[in-house]
Amino acid sequence: MAPSNPLANWEKVGDSFYRKIPVYDAIFDEDVELENYIVTGAPCGGVIALHRDESKPIRLRDTQTSRSSIDIYSCSGKQINRINWDQASIRGIGWSDKEELLVVAEDGTVRRYFGLDGDFTSFSLGNGAEEYGVRACQFWASGLVALLSNNQLIAVSKYDEPRPKLLAPCPEGEVSSWTVIPPAQTLSRSVEVLLAVDRTIYLIDSTEAEDKVLQDGPFKHVSMSPTGLYVALFTAEGKLWVVSNDFQSKISEYDTKSRVPPDTVNWCGDDAVILAWEDEIHLITTDGASSKYYYDDRVHVIPEFDGSRLLTNDSCEFLHKVHDVTEDIFRLGSSSPASVLLDSVDQLEKKSPKADENIQMIRSSLPAAVDSCIKAAAYEFDAYWQRRLLKAASFGKSALELYNSDEFVEMTEKLRVLSAVRDYQIGLPLSYEQYLRLSPEGLIERLISRHEYLLAIRVSDYLQIPADRIYVHWASQKVRVSSGDDEAVCKLIVQRLEGKPGISFEIIAQTAYDEGRSHLATQLLNHEPRAGKQVPLLLNMEEDELALDKAIESGDDDLVNYVLLHLKSKLPLASFFRMINTRPMASALIETAAQDDDIELLKDLYYQDDRPIDGSNALVSESLRETDPERKAEKLVLASRLLADSKDPTVVLQQKLINEASQLMKAQESLDKDLADRSEFLGLSLNETIYRLVRAGYGKRAHKIQSEFKMPEKTYWWLRLRALVAKRDWGELEEIGKNKKSPIGWEPFYNEVLGAGNTKLASVFVPKCTTLPVADRIEMWIKCGMIVKAGEEAQKAKDINTLELLRTKASGPAVTEIERMINQLKPRK
Amino acid sequence: MAPLGDADHCRDKARRDLLALLEGARGKKNLVVSQELAGPVSLFIKFSVLQEYGVDRVFLLENANIDSSQRNVVFLVRGEKAQHVRTVAQQIKRLQNNGNVEHEFSIFLTPRRTLVSNAVLEEAGIIGDVNIAEFPLHFLPLEQDILSLELDDAFGDLYLHKDPGCIFQSAKALMGLQQRHGYFPRIVGKGDNARRLADLLLRMRKEIDAEESSGLADPSARGLLPSADTESLIIIDRDVDFGTPLLTQLTYEGLIDEYVGIKNNQAEIDTSVVGQASGPQAQESSKSPQQAKPGLKRKIQLDASDQLFNQLRDANFAIVGDILNKVARRLETEYETRHSAKTTVELRDFVNKLPAYQLEHQSLRTHTNLAEEIMRLTRSETFRKILDVQQSNAAGIDPINQHETIEELIARDAPLKNVLRLLCLESCMAGGLRPKDLENFKRQVIQAYGHQHILTFWALEKMELLQPRSSATTMLLPTSGQTGTKTNYGYLRKSLRLVIEEVSEKEPEDISYVYSGFAPLSVRLVQCVLQKPYIISLIKGGTPAASVNNASTGSPGWLGFEDVVKSARGSTFSIVQKGDDKAVRARQTLSGNNATKTVYVYFLGGITFTEIAALRFVAAQEAPRRKIIICTTGIVSGDRMMDAAIEKKSFANAE
Repeated sequence: MAPSNPLANWEKVGDSFYRKIPVYDAIFDEDVELENYIVTGAPCGGVIALHRDESKPIRLRDTQTSRSSIDIYSCSGKQINRINWDQASIRGIGWSDKEELLVVAEDGTVRRYFGLDGDFTSFSLGNGAEEYGVRACQFWASGLVALLSNNQLIAVSKYDEPRPKLLAPCPEGEVSSWTVIPPAQTLSRSVEVLLAVDRTIYLIDSTEAEDKVLQDGPFKHVSMSPTGLYVALFTAEGKLWVVSNDFQSKISEYDTKSRVPPDTVNWCGDDAVILAWEDEIHLITTDGASSKYYYDDRVHVIPEFDGSRLLTNDSCEFLHKVHDVTEDIFRLGSSSPASVLLDSVDQLEKKSPKADENIQMIRSSLPAAVDSCIKAAAYEFDAYWQRRLLKAASFGKSALELYNSDEFVEMTEKLRVLSAVRDYQIGLPLSYEQYLRLSPEGLIERLISRHEYLLAIRVSDYLQIPADRIYVHWASQKVRVSSGDDEAVCKLIVQRLEGKPGISFEIIAQTAYDEGRSHLATQLLNHEPRAGKQVPLLLNMEEDELALDKAIESGDDDLVNYVLLHLKSKLPLASFFRMINTRPMASALIETAAQDDDIELLKDLYYQDDRPIDGSNALVSESLRETDPERKAEKLVLASRLLADSKDPTVVLQQKLINEASQLMKAQESLDKDLADRSEFLGLSLNETIYRLVRAGYGKRAHKIQSEFKMPEKTYWWLRLRALVAKRDWGELEEIGKNKKSPIGWEPFYNEVLGAGNTKLASVFVPKCTTLPVADRIEMWIKCGMIVKAGEEAQKAKDINTLELLRTKASGPAVTEIERMINQLKPRK
Repeated sequence: MAPLGDADHCRDKARRDLLALLEGARGKKNLVVSQELAGPVSLFIKFSVLQEYGVDRVFLLENANIDSSQRNVVFLVRGEKAQHVRTVAQQIKRLQNNGNVEHEFSIFLTPRRTLVSNAVLEEAGIIGDVNIAEFPLHFLPLEQDILSLELDDAFGDLYLHKDPGCIFQSAKALMGLQQRHGYFPRIVGKGDNARRLADLLLRMRKEIDAEESSGLADPSARGLLPSADTESLIIIDRDVDFGTPLLTQLTYEGLIDEYVGIKNNQAEIDTSVVGQASGPQAQESSKSPQQAKPGLKRKIQLDASDQLFNQLRDANFAIVGDILNKVARRLETEYETRHSAKTTVELRDFVNKLPAYQLEHQSLRTHTNLAEEIMRLTRSETFRKILDVQQSNAAGIDPINQHETIEELIARDAPLKNVLRLLCLESCMAGGLRPKDLENFKRQVIQAYGHQHILTFWALEKMELLQPRSSATTMLLPTSGQTGTKTNYGYLRKSLRLVIEEVSEKEPEDISYVYSGFAPLSVRLVQCVLQKPYIISLIKGGTPAASVNNASTGSPGWLGFEDVVKSARGSTFSIVQKGDDKAVRARQTLSGNNATKTVYVYFLGGITFTEIAALRFVAAQEAPRRKIIICTTGIVSGDRMMDAAIEKKSFANAE
């Protein structure tokens, strides 16, 4: 085949060249009358949606079009799917960058079709869309804005968790055209809208509408360039303006001399605007230069960020600006190094020495020339010229001593993938830059949604990208279309996917379940290695017990809680308890959760489980929460009753203690009534109660309570001691000191009183501490400041050394006393 | 080798993640944090940085005082806590209803967005109005060698409620470490929950393997191999050794924790002790997002940034005074050099050092005052009595003799926690209390501290901290045979020499210095894995110190101690995680064999500062062959253990 002229279809517009590359031909059947359709294309060479334009007359005998539908074609004209539309009339069709079809109905219903198989989710715009009706919609890569008939704007900025939000109210007036500015190009980082109202344009964001104060409206078209730098405006006088994005300066103006405004105004890359009438296209660069193309029949423009696809019945073309590298090489009379390098390949084939001459000539810029050739190959659609340019690059780098060939190798890989998917049978006319933007993973996703599994697997192997999603999609599709019996399908799938890592059987099972084949779903689910993944589906399938077991198996408490929450609301209490009974983790989680928010459930649980102590404790805990004393008491009675008739010593003790609590509360209430104006005793512990009574001087009542509650003597004595010391009731303490015996000994008395600073009284207790060693008692005396007494103690023990020590500490008359004792002890000579 | 230590890595990652999330909510915003997260957040980010990222004011969730002063409101709570999420929902609804401001709400759930929180928000009907994001906060670095999940409730959840949530979180966090370094070549552990954690780790690895090469898995997780620079993971379940944390900690940091409480590396100390914040310290303490209350309490940062504290923290309190004196003298002499400075150069030198002096001086003053305050407490009669009881329990002397002391403490209204700790300690060490004694104490405690503690005792029993000695079998379970349901301290005391009489606090030769003569069982178990020759010679009564250094890495896991370890509670395991042999060998060759290997020691259910000190002591002996990184669910102490059980409400009328 003779090589096509690389300059074919080049058109000089102003200073730069544009070229129109024919990608596919014979797209649609003759009987598809494109002029009657609204055509929207997914970005990056994606599929095309055709929807009959309802404003156009319908031929009656055409049965197919009588029902509203959307047809989805690949760029090469292969019909992929037909979506029947049974909702209110369509007001907007658009694509997300993930090739999801968005259809907005007049009543604000939005359907998002994903995967091209007709599966969809839907949500409603709300915010008054239903009352006023949607007038039009504009889409960007990940969201949409709808314009209601009352000029309100509703924005949805993501589809997986759609959250329709009203933008700032728009001023009154006739909206003649509008466009969205994607969040990536706004300062606020959220979507904004340009709205042409009457003679001017408003910039509307979520909080305010800013008037750009223009005079030359109404503008029939507004369009923002892909990078957001420029805005194209089409005025009522038939002029196209390109202005900067702040509307401060006009970049260019072009007079179409047409009274009829074009059907569409789109950007072609960032440097040119395409105006399209029925069968005529004007390309206007930002410099104001223009070029015109004429067609035989209706032409549709599908904008891309780096150019435009032009679609007619016969052909699909890609119109874009010729890249500088390409221009440098192919422009007539070009003598750039890369061009020379390309030429030398020709010479080489002719075995002409000029090949080497060429190389010598450009030696200094050879590396750059090689780079240029590699780059230019990227922008070629024709395999011949790709090869040619790569050959030139290869020849050039062979003449270089050091050259990193990574880029070269990568480029060959990329071009190979690109040419595979550009094939008309696949129909993905990706340009090189679109491929970069789409990413290899995105490309595979697209192949999957076209059911091109084999190619997808080959590409992913070639590029070393995980292929599990392809397998899973394949299997899901298998489940959907196969009608064989469940065993066979399951076996087939498992066999084919065996040994492939990362396969999510859960997704396949979900598909099976959605198809109503729950037996198959269960079987498939058994092959899912991740227990946690199985749970939600099992719940859906009402395999409750299995779901609970799998959740527990996963060890994920959240998952278990989730299942339990689900089961609790679904099952009758008895069967719910039965289910958690045998699963300790489940019952532990239920118990913990119920302690906070569902004490009734807890009580039932304990009752069913025959756990009386737990049950009574739940009541005690409730009693503690009550504010009213009577209610508190009631709960305690209930708690105690639960424990009746048991012989288990633990239970008996528990019951006793609970009864004691009731008893104490009663006693305290009467104390409060008798002794205090307000609640003072209620809620104190028994010890505190007695302590306070003693301190307040109600010794008798304290004693009464002590005996009533059988408080140990020791404790009682301690309490009395501490309370009296706190009260500084020295008399009473002295009185107690007259007792012969104390259950806690006398040392505590000494210590506490001394600690309170009363040395005199403390000293009273020293002689009573008869069990202590002498040395301790001496120390005690000293602490009271009674050296003489200490001396006496030492003298009794015949301890001269200590006496000597004491003498040093003594002062005043004590000194002589001590000396006297020393002398007494000293052996008489 | 990883360029960053784990601690720095965790800190950086947490900071980056949070800031990225905050950037997501554009413009100025108010931040609402739950109480339990406020401290941890201050560990890795300063308030001033938050401000740079548009945070105007910080509110505590529990105060419920978030207002409409900013349009943007960001909540940060734990996704695992349905209760907190519910509170968030309420507050959002309140703001939605009464404000005329149209708010923009974001909820950051940490460490993950849970199904339950989704359900809660859905139930509240606001799931559509808020932005929900995950903030994967797992390990928080307390120090270079301590990674903590800082889960305050982990102890109670695990042992009282039997809620395994924190095991799952631990597993997630450890998976994070594995993804960074490769798989732990060996997982050694003790305890039933530890076993569960290990099983989860194995399961998660399987799941990651299954996800491998699918787009789902993190690319960094692909082709994970056993790590070449990690030696092993040792998991110790807290319930293997309940006894140790019940003892009063006797290291400096431990005592501060006992008496003041250290939370997220900070202690709130009475200003009467440490004086008012001043100068540079004031800025330090404003790190935390909450405003420090004026007067009364002052927050002190307790971490390695304070050099003096770093010197003191792990020392036995007995020698803290000495160290302080030495430092004081050194500072003074250094300060005196200003008089000897003759030339201007010398003088300038001195002036340059001045700020450092002042800082050190300030820290010296703080710690001297603090140490004095603690000294005052340790000299009190109650402290001595409590310590007596503890020491005799630890030493295995018949606990009956101590009952009178405990009764006296109750009658004298000693703090409830102290009393309960003593009772629990006895129960743990001796395999339960005699039923009659237990009944007696129950009555006395309940009468002394209130009848609400019926619930406290029940909780303690559930946690198996305080139990009746049901029969002889439970006490003297196995010296051999099946695994014990309770740790047999009686046997282990001898077979692992937990009690060492002659201990030098100044120049410690054994970890037992941290409790002045009692070696924490938990750390002894770690030594059984890491320092086998030392333990063997210790049991034989040789000269232990000498054998530490020629320890070899010889036998892995519990080898040699299987029988001994059986008398501690729970399952014992040692799992080898294998990988592709060739790849492993290749890696080993690449990294070389003499490199320092890291050992991760995971304390499930919490660790005390004393045990940290003991582990650091072990780490110092093992350096440079090994590096020990301590990981835990949180810092625990006897008091905090009791807190989990103690019923807080009383029968008094609610105000």
